[in-house]
Amino acid sequence: MSSVLALYQKELWHYFRSPIAYFVVAVFMLGTGYFFTYNIFYTGIASMAGTFQNMGILLLLVIPVVSMRLFSGEYSAGTMELLQTLPLRPWQVVLGKYLGAVTILLLMTSATLIDLVPLYLFGDPETTTIAAGYIGFVLLGMACLAIGQFFSALTENQIVAALITVSVLVAFWFVGHLQSFQTSYVLYALFGYLSFSGQFGAFVQGLVRSEAVLFYLIVCAIALTLNASYLQWRR
Amino acid sequence: MIALESVTKRYGAKTIIHDMSFTVEKGEIVGFLGPNGAGKTTTIRMIAGYTTATSGRVTVAGFDMATQNVEAAREIGYLPEHPPLYDILDVAAYLRFVAKVKGVSRTEMAAELERVTAACHLEDVFRREIFKLSKGYRQRVGLAQALLGKPQVLLLDEPTIGLDPAQIHETREAIRSFGEGHAVLLSTHILPEVTMICRRVAIINRGRLLAIDTPEGLRQAVERTNQVALQATAPADALRQELLSVDGVNAVQMDPAPGDAGRLSVECKVDARDGIEAAIARVVAGRWELHGLERREPTLENVFLHYVHAAPVVEKAA
Repeated sequence: MSSVLALYQKELWHYFRSPIAYFVVAVFMLGTGYFFTYNIFYTGIASMAGTFQNMGILLLLVIPVVSMRLFSGEYSAGTMELLQTLPLRPWQVVLGKYLGAVTILLLMTSATLIDLVPLYLFGDPETTTIAAGYIGFVLLGMACLAIGQFFSALTENQIVAALITVSVLVAFWFVGHLQSFQTSYVLYALFGYLSFSGQFGAFVQGLVRSEAVLFYLIVCAIALTLNASYLQWRR
Repeated sequence: MIALESVTKRYGAKTIIHDMSFTVEKGEIVGFLGPNGAGKTTTIRMIAGYTTATSGRVTVAGFDMATQNVEAAREIGYLPEHPPLYDILDVAAYLRFVAKVKGVSRTEMAAELERVTAACHLEDVFRREIFKLSKGYRQRVGLAQALLGKPQVLLLDEPTIGLDPAQIHETREAIRSFGEGHAVLLSTHILPEVTMICRRVAIINRGRLLAIDTPEGLRQAVERTNQVALQATAPADALRQELLSVDGVNAVQMDPAPGDAGRLSVECKVDARDGIEAAIARVVAGRWELHGLERREPTLENVFLHYVHAAPVVEKAA
Protein backbone atom coordinates (compact mmCIF):
# COMPACT_ATOMS: atom_id res chain seq x y z
CA MET A 1 0.00 0.00 0.00
CA SER A 2 2.95 2.33 0.60
CA SER A 3 3.80 2.10 -3.11
CA VAL A 4 0.26 3.16 -3.97
CA LEU A 5 0.65 6.04 -1.56
CA ALA A 6 3.99 7.05 -3.10
CA LEU A 7 2.43 7.07 -6.54
CA TYR A 8 -0.57 8.98 -5.23
CA GLN A 9 1.74 11.61 -3.80
CA LYS A 10 3.61 11.85 -7.08
CA GLU A 11 0.30 12.35 -8.88
CA LEU A 12 -0.65 15.18 -6.56
CA TRP A 13 2.72 16.84 -7.15
CA HIS A 14 1.96 16.61 -10.81
CA TYR A 15 -1.42 18.26 -10.47
CA PHE A 16 -0.28 21.07 -8.23
CA ARG A 17 3.08 21.78 -9.83
CA SER A 18 1.44 22.18 -13.22
CA PRO A 19 -1.53 24.38 -14.07
CA ILE A 20 -3.91 21.42 -14.45
CA ALA A 21 -5.44 21.37 -10.97
CA TYR A 22 -5.84 25.14 -10.76
CA PHE A 23 -7.22 25.37 -14.27
CA VAL A 24 -9.72 22.56 -13.82
CA VAL A 25 -10.97 23.83 -10.48
CA ALA A 26 -11.22 27.39 -11.77
CA VAL A 27 -13.09 26.44 -14.93
CA PHE A 28 -15.41 24.19 -12.99
CA MET A 29 -16.18 26.86 -10.38
CA LEU A 30 -16.79 29.41 -13.10
CA GLY A 31 -19.14 27.13 -15.01
CA THR A 32 -20.98 25.98 -11.93
CA GLY A 33 -21.23 29.55 -10.64
CA TYR A 34 -22.81 30.62 -13.89
CA PHE A 35 -25.35 27.81 -13.94
CA PHE A 36 -26.10 28.31 -10.28
CA THR A 37 -26.88 32.02 -10.65
CA TYR A 38 -28.86 31.40 -13.79
CA ASN A 39 -30.97 28.64 -12.22
CA ILE A 40 -31.64 30.58 -9.03
CA PHE A 41 -32.73 33.73 -10.78
CA TYR A 42 -34.71 31.83 -13.38
CA THR A 43 -36.68 29.65 -10.96
CA GLY A 44 -36.49 31.65 -7.77
CA ILE A 45 -36.34 28.41 -5.83
CA ALA A 46 -33.64 27.66 -3.29
CA SER A 47 -32.69 24.33 -4.87
CA MET A 48 -29.57 22.85 -6.41
CA ALA A 49 -31.47 20.44 -8.68
CA GLY A 50 -31.01 22.37 -11.92
CA THR A 51 -27.42 23.23 -11.06
CA PHE A 52 -26.57 19.59 -10.39
CA GLN A 53 -27.88 18.60 -13.83
CA ASN A 54 -25.70 21.24 -15.43
CA MET A 55 -22.74 20.25 -13.30
CA GLY A 56 -23.15 16.72 -14.63
CA ILE A 57 -22.85 17.89 -18.22
CA LEU A 58 -19.94 20.16 -17.36
CA LEU A 59 -18.27 17.17 -15.76
CA LEU A 60 -18.33 15.26 -19.06
CA LEU A 61 -16.08 17.95 -20.51
CA VAL A 62 -13.83 18.54 -17.52
CA ILE A 63 -13.10 14.91 -16.62
CA PRO A 64 -11.24 14.16 -19.87
CA VAL A 65 -8.92 17.11 -19.18
CA VAL A 66 -7.97 15.50 -15.88
CA SER A 67 -7.86 11.91 -17.10
CA MET A 68 -6.21 12.28 -20.50
CA ARG A 69 -2.66 12.59 -19.21
CA LEU A 70 -2.88 9.81 -16.63
CA PHE A 71 -1.28 7.19 -18.84
CA SER A 72 -0.82 8.92 -22.19
CA GLY A 73 1.51 11.37 -20.49
CA GLU A 74 3.54 8.54 -18.97
CA TYR A 75 3.88 6.86 -22.34
CA SER A 76 5.04 9.95 -24.18
CA ALA A 77 7.48 10.96 -21.44
CA GLY A 78 8.94 7.44 -21.40
CA THR A 79 8.16 7.16 -17.70
CA MET A 80 5.89 4.17 -18.20
CA GLU A 81 9.12 2.24 -18.57
CA LEU A 82 9.97 3.32 -15.03
CA LEU A 83 6.54 2.46 -13.59
CA GLN A 84 6.53 -0.95 -15.23
CA THR A 85 10.01 -1.87 -14.04
CA LEU A 86 9.65 -0.62 -10.47
CA PRO A 87 8.27 -3.05 -7.88
CA LEU A 88 4.70 -2.02 -8.71
CA ARG A 89 1.85 -4.27 -9.74
CA PRO A 90 -0.49 -2.97 -12.41
CA TRP A 91 -3.35 -2.60 -9.95
CA GLN A 92 -1.12 -0.48 -7.73
CA VAL A 93 -0.30 1.84 -10.61
CA VAL A 94 -3.96 2.06 -11.57
CA LEU A 95 -5.11 2.68 -8.02
CA GLY A 96 -2.45 5.28 -7.20
CA LYS A 97 -3.27 7.28 -10.27
CA TYR A 98 -6.98 6.91 -9.79
CA LEU A 99 -6.87 8.12 -6.20
CA GLY A 100 -4.94 11.17 -7.35
CA ALA A 101 -7.56 11.96 -9.95
CA VAL A 102 -10.39 11.40 -7.47
CA THR A 103 -8.70 13.88 -5.15
CA ILE A 104 -8.93 16.51 -7.87
CA LEU A 105 -12.57 15.59 -8.37
CA LEU A 106 -13.26 16.06 -4.66
CA LEU A 107 -11.46 19.37 -4.72
CA MET A 108 -13.51 20.50 -7.70
CA THR A 109 -16.68 19.38 -6.00
CA SER A 110 -15.92 21.04 -2.70
CA ALA A 111 -15.11 24.28 -4.50
CA THR A 112 -18.76 24.45 -5.57
CA LEU A 113 -19.88 24.36 -1.93
CA ILE A 114 -19.37 28.11 -1.98
CA ASP A 115 -22.62 28.34 -3.97
CA LEU A 116 -24.45 27.02 -0.93
CA VAL A 117 -23.59 30.10 1.10
CA PRO A 118 -26.10 32.43 -0.58
CA LEU A 119 -28.56 29.55 -0.83
CA TYR A 120 -28.63 29.12 2.94
CA LEU A 121 -28.32 32.85 3.57
CA PHE A 122 -31.34 33.87 1.55
CA GLY A 123 -33.38 30.69 1.31
CA ASP A 124 -34.28 27.53 3.10
CA PRO A 125 -32.95 24.64 0.97
CA GLU A 126 -33.37 20.96 1.80
CA THR A 127 -30.05 19.86 3.17
CA THR A 128 -30.63 16.12 2.65
CA THR A 129 -31.56 16.62 -1.01
CA ILE A 130 -28.41 18.66 -1.59
CA ALA A 131 -26.30 16.07 0.20
CA ALA A 132 -27.81 13.32 -1.98
CA GLY A 133 -27.01 15.39 -5.07
CA TYR A 134 -23.40 15.77 -4.01
CA ILE A 135 -23.07 12.05 -3.31
CA GLY A 136 -24.45 11.31 -6.77
CA PHE A 137 -22.19 13.88 -8.34
CA VAL A 138 -19.05 12.43 -6.78
CA LEU A 139 -20.08 8.90 -7.79
CA LEU A 140 -20.76 10.06 -11.33
CA GLY A 141 -17.38 11.81 -11.41
CA MET A 142 -15.61 8.71 -10.12
CA ALA A 143 -17.18 6.57 -12.84
CA CYS A 144 -16.25 9.10 -15.52
CA LEU A 145 -12.66 9.29 -14.23
CA ALA A 146 -12.28 5.52 -14.24
CA ILE A 147 -13.47 5.43 -17.85
CA GLY A 148 -11.18 8.30 -18.81
CA GLN A 149 -8.21 6.68 -17.11
CA PHE A 150 -8.79 3.45 -19.01
CA PHE A 151 -8.89 5.21 -22.37
CA SER A 152 -5.80 7.17 -21.46
CA ALA A 153 -3.96 3.85 -21.10
CA LEU A 154 -4.84 2.90 -24.66
CA THR A 155 -3.05 5.70 -26.46
CA GLU A 156 0.12 7.72 -26.28
CA ASN A 157 -1.72 10.76 -27.58
CA GLN A 158 -3.43 12.79 -24.87
CA ILE A 159 -5.77 14.53 -27.31
CA VAL A 160 -6.94 11.21 -28.70
CA ALA A 161 -7.49 9.94 -25.17
CA ALA A 162 -9.54 13.03 -24.32
CA LEU A 163 -11.66 12.80 -27.48
CA ILE A 164 -12.46 9.11 -27.00
CA THR A 165 -13.32 9.76 -23.37
CA VAL A 166 -15.66 12.66 -24.18
CA SER A 167 -17.41 10.57 -26.82
CA VAL A 168 -17.90 7.62 -24.51
CA LEU A 169 -19.04 9.78 -21.60
CA VAL A 170 -21.49 11.69 -23.78
CA ALA A 171 -22.81 8.38 -25.07
CA PHE A 172 -23.36 7.10 -21.53
CA TRP A 173 -24.99 10.39 -20.57
CA PHE A 174 -27.51 10.39 -23.40
CA VAL A 175 -28.03 6.64 -23.86
CA GLY A 176 -31.27 6.94 -21.89
CA HIS A 177 -32.84 8.82 -24.80
CA LEU A 178 -32.73 5.63 -26.85
CA GLN A 179 -35.36 4.24 -24.53
CA SER A 180 -38.17 5.93 -26.46
CA PHE A 181 -37.38 3.92 -29.58
CA GLN A 182 -37.31 0.50 -27.97
CA THR A 183 -40.05 -2.06 -28.43
CA SER A 184 -38.31 -4.79 -26.43
CA TYR A 185 -38.49 -4.36 -22.70
CA VAL A 186 -35.00 -5.77 -22.15
CA LEU A 187 -33.37 -3.08 -24.27
CA TYR A 188 -35.61 -0.43 -22.75
CA ALA A 189 -34.52 -1.44 -19.27
CA LEU A 190 -30.89 -1.77 -20.30
CA PHE A 191 -30.67 1.73 -21.79
CA GLY A 192 -32.35 3.11 -18.73
CA TYR A 193 -29.93 1.30 -16.48
CA LEU A 194 -26.82 2.36 -18.38
CA SER A 195 -27.86 6.00 -18.51
CA PHE A 196 -25.43 8.09 -16.45
CA SER A 197 -27.88 10.97 -16.42
CA GLY A 198 -30.79 8.72 -15.49
CA GLN A 199 -28.96 7.20 -12.53
CA PHE A 200 -27.75 10.64 -11.52
CA GLY A 201 -31.26 12.10 -11.77
CA ALA A 202 -32.43 10.08 -8.77
CA PHE A 203 -29.67 11.56 -6.60
CA VAL A 204 -30.61 15.07 -7.70
CA GLN A 205 -34.17 14.37 -6.59
CA GLY A 206 -32.77 13.51 -3.17
CA LEU A 207 -32.80 9.73 -3.49
CA VAL A 208 -29.69 7.77 -2.61
CA ARG A 209 -30.66 4.35 -3.98
CA SER A 210 -28.23 1.54 -3.24
CA GLU A 211 -28.91 0.31 -6.76
CA ALA A 212 -27.63 3.55 -8.27
CA VAL A 213 -24.65 3.72 -5.92
CA LEU A 214 -23.81 0.17 -6.89
CA PHE A 215 -24.18 1.03 -10.57
CA TYR A 216 -21.52 3.72 -10.45
CA LEU A 217 -19.21 1.62 -8.31
CA ILE A 218 -19.54 -1.27 -10.75
CA VAL A 219 -18.65 1.03 -13.64
CA CYS A 220 -15.54 2.14 -11.70
CA ALA A 221 -14.59 -1.44 -10.91
CA ILE A 222 -14.99 -2.60 -14.50
CA ALA A 223 -13.03 0.31 -15.97
CA LEU A 224 -10.21 0.04 -13.44
CA THR A 225 -9.97 -3.73 -13.85
CA LEU A 226 -9.79 -3.36 -17.62
CA ASN A 227 -7.15 -0.70 -17.06
CA ALA A 228 -4.97 -2.96 -14.93
CA SER A 229 -5.45 -5.98 -17.20
CA TYR A 230 -4.45 -3.89 -20.17
CA LEU A 231 -1.23 -2.82 -18.46
CA GLN A 232 -0.48 -6.44 -17.63
CA TRP A 233 -1.23 -7.56 -21.16
CA ARG A 234 0.89 -4.79 -22.65
CA ARG A 235 4.07 -6.38 -21.35
CA MET B 1 22.35 -12.96 -11.25
CA ILE B 2 21.07 -12.49 -14.77
CA ALA B 3 20.38 -15.50 -16.95
CA LEU B 4 18.85 -15.72 -20.40
CA GLU B 5 17.96 -19.15 -21.72
CA SER B 6 17.13 -19.38 -25.44
CA VAL B 7 15.24 -16.14 -25.34
CA THR B 8 13.32 -15.17 -28.44
CA LYS B 9 11.25 -12.04 -28.89
CA ARG B 10 8.83 -11.58 -31.73
CA TYR B 11 6.66 -8.60 -32.58
CA GLY B 12 4.04 -9.96 -34.92
CA ALA B 13 5.86 -11.85 -37.65
CA LYS B 14 9.11 -10.03 -37.01
CA THR B 15 11.70 -11.70 -34.83
CA ILE B 16 13.71 -9.13 -32.92
CA ILE B 17 15.76 -11.45 -30.73
CA HIS B 18 16.79 -14.93 -31.85
CA ASP B 19 17.47 -17.67 -29.34
CA MET B 20 19.73 -15.65 -27.05
CA SER B 21 21.45 -17.18 -24.03
CA PHE B 22 23.99 -15.71 -21.66
CA THR B 23 24.55 -15.01 -18.00
CA VAL B 24 25.93 -12.18 -15.93
CA GLU B 25 27.37 -13.14 -12.55
CA LYS B 26 27.58 -11.14 -9.39
CA GLY B 27 30.61 -8.88 -9.30
CA GLU B 28 31.03 -8.62 -13.03
CA ILE B 29 30.36 -5.88 -15.55
CA VAL B 30 29.31 -7.15 -18.93
CA GLY B 31 29.37 -4.84 -21.90
CA PHE B 32 26.58 -5.24 -24.37
CA LEU B 33 27.86 -4.18 -27.73
CA GLY B 34 26.08 -3.90 -31.03
CA PRO B 35 25.18 -1.49 -33.82
CA ASN B 36 21.99 0.53 -33.61
CA GLY B 37 18.94 -1.65 -34.03
CA ALA B 38 20.80 -4.81 -33.04
CA GLY B 39 18.35 -5.60 -30.26
CA LYS B 40 20.28 -4.26 -27.26
CA THR B 41 17.42 -2.21 -25.89
CA THR B 42 14.85 -4.97 -26.43
CA THR B 43 17.05 -7.45 -24.60
CA ILE B 44 17.62 -5.09 -21.70
CA ARG B 45 13.90 -4.36 -21.54
CA MET B 46 13.18 -8.06 -21.24
CA ILE B 47 15.69 -8.38 -18.43
CA ALA B 48 14.19 -5.33 -16.72
CA GLY B 49 10.72 -6.83 -16.99
CA TYR B 50 9.30 -4.04 -19.14
CA THR B 51 8.44 -6.52 -21.81
CA THR B 52 8.31 -10.32 -21.84
CA ALA B 53 10.10 -12.89 -23.97
CA THR B 54 8.00 -14.67 -26.60
CA SER B 55 9.79 -17.90 -25.73
CA GLY B 56 12.68 -18.88 -23.52
CA ARG B 57 13.34 -17.78 -19.97
CA VAL B 58 14.79 -14.68 -18.38
CA THR B 59 15.70 -14.93 -14.72
CA VAL B 60 17.05 -12.16 -12.53
CA ALA B 61 18.24 -12.88 -8.98
CA GLY B 62 16.46 -16.22 -9.24
CA PHE B 63 13.09 -14.73 -10.24
CA ASP B 64 11.40 -15.62 -13.49
CA MET B 65 10.77 -12.31 -15.23
CA ALA B 66 7.65 -13.63 -16.94
CA THR B 67 5.76 -14.18 -13.71
CA GLN B 68 7.76 -12.75 -10.81
CA ASN B 69 8.85 -9.46 -12.32
CA VAL B 70 7.55 -7.41 -9.40
CA GLU B 71 9.53 -9.45 -6.86
CA ALA B 72 12.60 -9.21 -9.07
CA ALA B 73 12.15 -5.47 -9.54
CA ARG B 74 13.39 -4.85 -6.00
CA GLU B 75 16.75 -6.28 -7.05
CA ILE B 76 16.99 -4.37 -10.31
CA GLY B 77 18.21 -0.86 -10.97
CA TYR B 78 17.37 0.12 -14.52
CA LEU B 79 18.42 3.12 -16.54
CA PRO B 80 16.51 3.00 -19.84
CA GLU B 81 17.83 4.49 -23.04
CA HIS B 82 15.87 7.68 -22.38
CA PRO B 83 16.04 8.48 -18.69
CA PRO B 84 12.46 8.14 -17.41
CA LEU B 85 12.09 11.45 -15.59
CA TYR B 86 9.13 13.50 -14.43
CA ASP B 87 10.05 16.93 -15.71
CA ILE B 88 7.77 18.76 -13.38
CA LEU B 89 9.21 17.30 -10.18
CA ASP B 90 12.44 18.49 -8.64
CA VAL B 91 15.30 16.02 -8.37
CA ALA B 92 14.68 15.44 -4.66
CA ALA B 93 10.97 14.69 -5.11
CA TYR B 94 11.65 12.41 -8.05
CA LEU B 95 14.29 10.39 -6.25
CA ARG B 96 12.16 10.21 -3.12
CA PHE B 97 9.26 8.85 -5.17
CA VAL B 98 11.37 6.11 -6.73
CA ALA B 99 12.98 5.29 -3.37
CA LYS B 100 9.59 4.90 -1.69
CA VAL B 101 8.32 2.60 -4.39
CA LYS B 102 11.51 0.56 -4.12
CA GLY B 103 10.77 0.14 -0.44
CA VAL B 104 13.41 2.38 1.10
CA SER B 105 12.18 2.99 4.63
CA ARG B 106 11.54 6.37 6.15
CA THR B 107 14.53 6.07 8.47
CA GLU B 108 16.96 5.19 5.67
CA MET B 109 15.53 7.67 3.19
CA ALA B 110 17.81 10.65 3.87
CA ALA B 111 20.98 8.54 3.87
CA GLU B 112 19.97 6.71 0.71
CA LEU B 113 19.20 9.91 -1.17
CA GLU B 114 22.49 11.35 -0.03
CA ARG B 115 24.34 8.27 -1.18
CA VAL B 116 23.02 8.28 -4.76
CA THR B 117 23.22 12.06 -5.00
CA ALA B 118 26.90 11.91 -4.11
CA ALA B 119 27.58 8.96 -6.40
CA CYS B 120 26.08 10.81 -9.36
CA HIS B 121 27.27 14.30 -8.38
CA LEU B 122 23.81 15.81 -8.16
CA GLU B 123 24.29 17.96 -5.04
CA ASP B 124 24.08 21.21 -7.00
CA VAL B 125 20.76 20.44 -8.65
CA PHE B 126 19.06 18.54 -5.85
CA ARG B 127 16.29 21.12 -5.44
CA ARG B 128 15.96 22.03 -9.10
CA GLU B 129 13.05 20.99 -11.31
CA ILE B 130 14.09 18.31 -13.75
CA PHE B 131 12.91 20.17 -16.85
CA LYS B 132 15.54 22.83 -16.09
CA LEU B 133 18.41 20.34 -16.18
CA SER B 134 20.92 19.82 -18.97
CA LYS B 135 21.12 16.52 -20.77
CA GLY B 136 24.11 15.39 -18.74
CA TYR B 137 22.34 16.05 -15.47
CA ARG B 138 19.20 14.30 -16.69
CA GLN B 139 21.26 11.26 -17.53
CA ARG B 140 22.78 11.31 -14.07
CA VAL B 141 19.41 11.70 -12.34
CA GLY B 142 18.37 8.61 -14.31
CA LEU B 143 21.43 6.79 -13.09
CA ALA B 144 20.83 7.91 -9.49
CA GLN B 145 17.30 6.55 -9.73
CA ALA B 146 18.66 3.18 -10.83
CA LEU B 147 21.00 3.02 -7.84
CA LEU B 148 18.28 3.65 -5.27
CA GLY B 149 17.50 0.76 -2.97
CA LYS B 150 20.92 -0.85 -3.53
CA PRO B 151 19.79 -3.29 -6.22
CA GLN B 152 21.94 -6.35 -6.91
CA VAL B 153 21.51 -6.02 -10.65
CA LEU B 154 22.13 -2.89 -12.67
CA LEU B 155 20.92 -2.55 -16.23
CA LEU B 156 22.31 0.52 -17.94
CA ASP B 157 21.25 1.33 -21.48
CA GLU B 158 23.85 3.72 -22.87
CA PRO B 159 24.62 5.41 -19.57
CA THR B 160 27.26 7.84 -20.81
CA ILE B 161 25.35 9.21 -23.76
CA GLY B 162 24.98 12.97 -23.66
CA LEU B 163 27.66 13.50 -21.06
CA ASP B 164 30.73 15.68 -21.45
CA PRO B 165 34.16 14.02 -21.23
CA ALA B 166 34.63 14.84 -17.55
CA GLN B 167 31.20 13.48 -16.69
CA ILE B 168 31.81 10.39 -18.81
CA HIS B 169 34.94 9.76 -16.82
CA GLU B 170 33.12 10.19 -13.50
CA THR B 171 30.22 8.02 -14.58
CA ARG B 172 32.54 5.25 -15.73
CA GLU B 173 34.37 5.38 -12.44
CA ALA B 174 31.05 5.17 -10.65
CA ILE B 175 29.93 2.19 -12.75
CA ARG B 176 33.24 0.48 -12.22
CA SER B 177 32.80 0.83 -8.47
CA PHE B 178 29.27 -0.65 -8.65
CA GLY B 179 30.73 -3.63 -10.47
CA GLU B 180 32.09 -4.91 -7.20
CA GLY B 181 29.26 -6.77 -5.60
CA HIS B 182 26.70 -6.12 -8.32
CA ALA B 183 25.90 -7.72 -11.63
CA VAL B 184 26.05 -4.96 -14.23
CA LEU B 185 24.93 -5.15 -17.82
CA LEU B 186 25.93 -2.08 -19.76
CA SER B 187 24.85 -1.44 -23.30
CA THR B 188 26.88 0.93 -25.38
CA HIS B 189 28.29 1.51 -28.78
CA ILE B 190 31.31 3.33 -27.47
CA LEU B 191 34.04 0.72 -27.82
CA PRO B 192 36.75 2.14 -25.56
CA GLU B 193 34.18 2.28 -22.77
CA VAL B 194 33.85 -1.46 -22.93
CA THR B 195 37.58 -2.12 -22.81
CA MET B 196 37.90 0.25 -19.89
CA ILE B 197 35.26 -1.06 -17.55
CA CYS B 198 33.87 -4.40 -18.68
CA ARG B 199 35.10 -7.78 -17.66
CA ARG B 200 33.26 -9.49 -20.47
CA VAL B 201 31.77 -8.30 -23.72
CA ALA B 202 28.71 -9.59 -25.51
CA ILE B 203 28.51 -8.66 -29.16
CA ILE B 204 25.09 -8.78 -30.76
CA ASN B 205 23.77 -7.95 -34.18
CA ARG B 206 20.41 -8.50 -35.82
CA GLY B 207 19.06 -9.94 -32.60
CA ARG B 208 21.68 -12.67 -32.31
CA LEU B 209 24.41 -13.08 -29.77
CA LEU B 210 27.56 -13.40 -31.87
CA ALA B 211 30.17 -13.72 -29.17
CA ILE B 212 30.59 -13.30 -25.44
CA ASP B 213 34.02 -13.35 -23.84
CA THR B 214 36.60 -11.17 -22.16
CA PRO B 215 37.90 -8.39 -24.43
CA GLU B 216 41.20 -10.30 -24.46
CA GLY B 217 39.53 -13.56 -25.39
CA LEU B 218 37.64 -11.92 -28.22
CA ARG B 219 40.84 -10.43 -29.52
CA GLN B 220 42.55 -13.80 -29.54
CA ALA B 221 39.63 -15.35 -31.32
CA VAL B 222 40.08 -12.99 -34.22
CA GLU B 223 43.85 -12.94 -34.27
CA ARG B 224 43.70 -13.86 -37.92
CA THR B 225 42.88 -10.25 -38.59
CA ASN B 226 46.48 -9.59 -37.51
CA GLN B 227 48.24 -7.47 -40.00
CA VAL B 228 51.66 -6.15 -40.77
CA ALA B 229 51.69 -2.91 -42.72
CA LEU B 230 54.79 -1.61 -44.44
CA GLN B 231 55.97 0.83 -47.03
CA ALA B 232 58.77 -0.01 -49.42
CA THR B 233 60.20 1.11 -52.75
CA ALA B 234 60.34 -2.07 -54.80
CA PRO B 235 58.98 -3.77 -57.92
CA ALA B 236 55.48 -4.94 -57.07
CA ASP B 237 55.61 -8.53 -58.36
CA ALA B 238 58.97 -9.37 -56.90
CA LEU B 239 57.99 -7.89 -53.54
CA ARG B 240 54.75 -9.85 -53.44
CA GLN B 241 56.55 -13.10 -54.21
CA GLU B 242 59.17 -12.46 -51.60
CA LEU B 243 56.61 -11.58 -48.94
CA LEU B 244 54.48 -14.65 -49.62
CA SER B 245 57.53 -16.82 -49.27
CA VAL B 246 57.85 -15.77 -45.64
CA ASP B 247 56.41 -18.45 -43.37
CA GLY B 248 53.22 -17.17 -41.74
CA VAL B 249 52.24 -14.58 -44.33
CA ASN B 250 48.89 -15.56 -45.76
CA ALA B 251 47.95 -12.75 -48.09
CA VAL B 252 49.43 -9.59 -49.44
CA GLN B 253 47.68 -6.53 -50.68
CA MET B 254 49.58 -3.61 -52.18
CA ASP B 255 48.77 -0.16 -53.46
CA PRO B 256 50.99 2.63 -54.72
CA ALA B 257 51.77 4.90 -51.76
CA PRO B 258 50.43 8.40 -52.35
CA GLY B 259 52.87 11.10 -53.36
CA ASP B 260 56.03 9.08 -53.95
CA ALA B 261 56.53 7.31 -57.30
CA GLY B 262 57.65 3.71 -56.97
CA ARG B 263 56.80 3.48 -53.30
CA LEU B 264 54.28 0.80 -52.34
CA SER B 265 51.97 0.60 -49.41
CA VAL B 266 51.62 -3.04 -48.42
CA GLU B 267 49.36 -4.89 -46.03
CA CYS B 268 50.11 -8.49 -45.14
CA LYS B 269 47.65 -10.75 -43.41
CA VAL B 270 49.72 -12.83 -41.05
CA ASP B 271 49.43 -15.62 -38.52
CA ALA B 272 49.59 -14.52 -34.95
CA ARG B 273 53.10 -15.41 -33.88
CA ASP B 274 56.06 -13.57 -32.46
CA GLY B 275 58.85 -12.36 -34.66
CA ILE B 276 56.91 -12.35 -37.88
CA GLU B 277 57.35 -8.64 -38.48
CA ALA B 278 61.13 -9.11 -37.99
CA ALA B 279 61.17 -11.85 -40.63
CA ILE B 280 59.29 -9.64 -43.07
CA ALA B 281 61.58 -6.71 -42.36
CA ARG B 282 64.64 -8.89 -43.03
CA VAL B 283 63.32 -10.07 -46.36
CA VAL B 284 62.37 -6.63 -47.62
CA ALA B 285 65.30 -4.60 -46.28
CA GLY B 286 67.77 -7.16 -47.67
CA ARG B 287 66.85 -6.32 -51.28
CA TRP B 288 64.95 -3.06 -51.34
CA GLU B 289 64.36 0.14 -49.47
CA LEU B 290 62.04 -0.29 -46.45
CA HIS B 291 60.44 2.96 -45.26
CA GLY B 292 58.49 1.70 -42.32
CA LEU B 293 56.79 -1.30 -40.84
CA GLU B 294 54.24 -1.85 -38.13
CA ARG B 295 52.36 -4.74 -36.63
CA ARG B 296 48.65 -4.02 -36.22
CA GLU B 297 47.07 -5.72 -33.24
CA PRO B 298 43.36 -6.31 -33.57
CA THR B 299 41.59 -3.56 -31.67
CA LEU B 300 38.22 -4.13 -30.13
CA GLU B 301 36.91 -2.16 -33.06
CA ASN B 302 38.32 -4.74 -35.46
CA VAL B 303 36.91 -7.50 -33.32
CA PHE B 304 33.54 -5.84 -33.33
CA LEU B 305 33.54 -5.26 -37.07
CA HIS B 306 34.76 -8.80 -37.62
CA TYR B 307 31.78 -10.26 -35.79
CA VAL B 308 29.20 -7.83 -37.03
CA HIS B 309 30.21 -8.23 -40.65
CA ALA B 310 30.69 -11.96 -40.47
CA ALA B 311 27.18 -12.41 -39.12
CA PRO B 312 24.96 -14.32 -41.51
CA VAL B 313 22.31 -12.13 -43.00
CA VAL B 314 19.08 -13.98 -42.43
CA GLU B 315 15.97 -12.09 -43.38
CA LYS B 316 12.97 -14.20 -42.75
CA ALA B 317 10.06 -13.61 -45.05
CA ALA B 318 7.12 -12.21 -43.14
